[in-house]
Amino acid sequence: MSLRINPNPAPDLLLAIARNRQEQNAALQQLSTGRKVVQLADNPAAAAQVVLSHIDSAQDDQYLQNISALTAQLGSIDSILSSVVQALTQAISLGVQGANGTLSDADRQSIAQHMTGIRDQVLALANQTYQGSHVFGGTATSAAPFVLDATQPGGVRYDGNANTNTVAISQGRTIAVNLPGSELFTNPAGNVLAALNEMITALQSNSGLQAANTSLNTAFSQLNTRRVFYGNTLSQLESTQTFLHTDKVRLAQQENALVGADLAASITSLQQATTATEAILSATGQVLSTLNLLNFLK
Amino acid sequence: MGGLSGSLGIALGALAANRGAIAITSNNIANVNNPAYSRQRINLSENPPVQVGPVLFGTGVTLEQATSIRDNLLERRLDQENQSASHLDAFLGALNQVQALFNEAAGSGLQAPLTAFFNSFSQLSVNPTSAASRQAVITAGQNLASAFRYSASSLRALQSSTDIGVEQSVRQINQIAQQVAALNVQISGLESVGQDPGAFLDQRTQLLRQLSGLIEISEADAGNGSLTVTTSGGAALVVAFHAFALTTAINPDTTYHDVYSQDTNLTADLRGGALGGQIEARDREIPSILQKLDTLAYAVATAVNTQSQSGFDANGNAGLDFFVPLASSSAAASSLAVSISDPGLVAASSDGAVGSNGNAQALAALKDQAIVAGESPANYYSALIFSIGNSVSQAQAEKAAVELVQQQLQNQRGAISGVSLDEEAVNLIRFQSAYAAAANVVSVVNELLATTLAMIR
Repeated sequence: MSLRINPNPAPDLLLAIARNRQEQNAALQQLSTGRKVVQLADNPAAAAQVVLSHIDSAQDDQYLQNISALTAQLGSIDSILSSVVQALTQAISLGVQGANGTLSDADRQSIAQHMTGIRDQVLALANQTYQGSHVFGGTATSAAPFVLDATQPGGVRYDGNANTNTVAISQGRTIAVNLPGSELFTNPAGNVLAALNEMITALQSNSGLQAANTSLNTAFSQLNTRRVFYGNTLSQLESTQTFLHTDKVRLAQQENALVGADLAASITSLQQATTATEAILSATGQVLSTLNLLNFLK
Repeated sequence: MGGLSGSLGIALGALAANRGAIAITSNNIANVNNPAYSRQRINLSENPPVQVGPVLFGTGVTLEQATSIRDNLLERRLDQENQSASHLDAFLGALNQVQALFNEAAGSGLQAPLTAFFNSFSQLSVNPTSAASRQAVITAGQNLASAFRYSASSLRALQSSTDIGVEQSVRQINQIAQQVAALNVQISGLESVGQDPGAFLDQRTQLLRQLSGLIEISEADAGNGSLTVTTSGGAALVVAFHAFALTTAINPDTTYHDVYSQDTNLTADLRGGALGGQIEARDREIPSILQKLDTLAYAVATAVNTQSQSGFDANGNAGLDFFVPLASSSAAASSLAVSISDPGLVAASSDGAVGSNGNAQALAALKDQAIVAGESPANYYSALIFSIGNSVSQAQAEKAAVELVQQQLQNQRGAISGVSLDEEAVNLIRFQSAYAAAANVVSVVNELLATTLAMIR
């Protein structure tokens, strides 16, 4: 006796139809979402990797925001310092003028007054704020860091601290973003405010003008040397910004490779599944409506 | 015998046998689309011969009890695969919802709030005196806490709805066990008088198929056609004519239903069937995800609190806890909350001066530190996503394999027990002609009898 075959093929056919429909659905979902990993189970490893790449990308966004805020802040500080440099340049030339022995007392007093104006201007610049915070007070940013105080050597008191802040600007990279005002304006190696005070006193008393000029020059070059910090930091921020933009492109490409649908492949599999479904539907129609022997009984 | 009346008797028997055979064929055809039906084979047997003088005469045909064609081993295999399939269905039903909760591809899950929270500290580090940035940290913390709470409460809701499924499954199991016990009575009654209990066997096979879809069972022949059904662990469901009901009772530790047989708690041993799948999702898979969420929530809250305390707030005071302190990781995700509401209390400063960002910087840097079970929060969370996806994908692969086996077994069962209309049509023709032939015999014998009787007129 020949092998008896299953006389009822309907469940097989239905299962085959269901499988083809599933493939069709999957391909359609890939096409409509543009992703080949729609659920975690589609590719758990890729889904987990994408979590990390999303985190990296969101962090890059934050670093870029940090950089743009810092660029504005440091740019503003640099322009304050550039005003200070201008004022000091003027003070130096006034100092040279004041040291001229042919000047009358009245002329020197008037230069001294002018010099006092410059000192006050520099003091105001050193006490400048950015978004409500004093930028040259170290981390003590709530009160003006420089106060004229005759009891102090140099006639100026520093109320700020010597602390600096660092900010993360890319993964694993932090940079210092401020210099305490004491390094810029009251640095022992060249004390800007003390030099200006010394010059005012020298002009008023007509003595020690030479020494005051030397002090002022030293302070000027000291400030210029220190100020380079802000320029350097700004250029570091700029290069990091470029790096971060590249990194974001890399992360987007990585994500696309992990979970992005290959449109050509999805379209092909949609077509295959559609063709297969049509074939199985037509086969089912034929098989289930096939006549059996009973139809021939008369 | 051997006479005309003997022939008449043989023809009468043939008429009855063929009529019966047509009835059986008709019953087979009627049940062609009944998946539980096993086709019946017609058994015809030759009547014992009689000896008349030296000659042995046959005495015709008798229709014996029809036999249902079924392979019991195959039916058991089908039961086993059915319990695997139902187990995976129930498990996947719950896990698919978990997967949707953490579908990072669609933007749900904890990645976004977690990243935003640590980024808010980085933002604050740029401008530590900014009230807006300080407020942003608190808002991001609240968002993170509510995302944790939402995930935890969704998982618990899923456990509760799975728990309702457990109760329903137990009720169904008890109902079916009672029906099986009742059928045992019918079947053994028929068998004891030598009748074929085919129809009842089909019903019982069908019920056992349903039962195996609910719970992993073992079947043993209890003699006389009745069947003993136990759970795979040996707890009785049906013994001969008696059904033993499973009961449920709330476990005060889990607040979900445990399953008992008599007074024995079976919950941990139930693996197969829908009940096994529901219990696996409710008691093992979902709790393990919840526990990982708790670990993550506890580690983040503790690390952020510790770091906050080592800094200073905007007024130069020592930092306070940022999150409401958690005693342990137990239920940490569902109770995570931000404890400060004044933006000034965010401990951004590391030296006490308002402009210092050192502590904000340190808080932002926690994202890369191994603070959760030796991993960074991002890596820990990513591993959790992998394990959820992997559980679902494994179960899906198993399901596909089980479906293939089921399909093959169904085909085998169909080949043995399925009704073929072609076969039945052939039988119908055979029995129809045999019936017609027997009727012709009657009419011929009748003529012969008339001829014989005419001799004495």
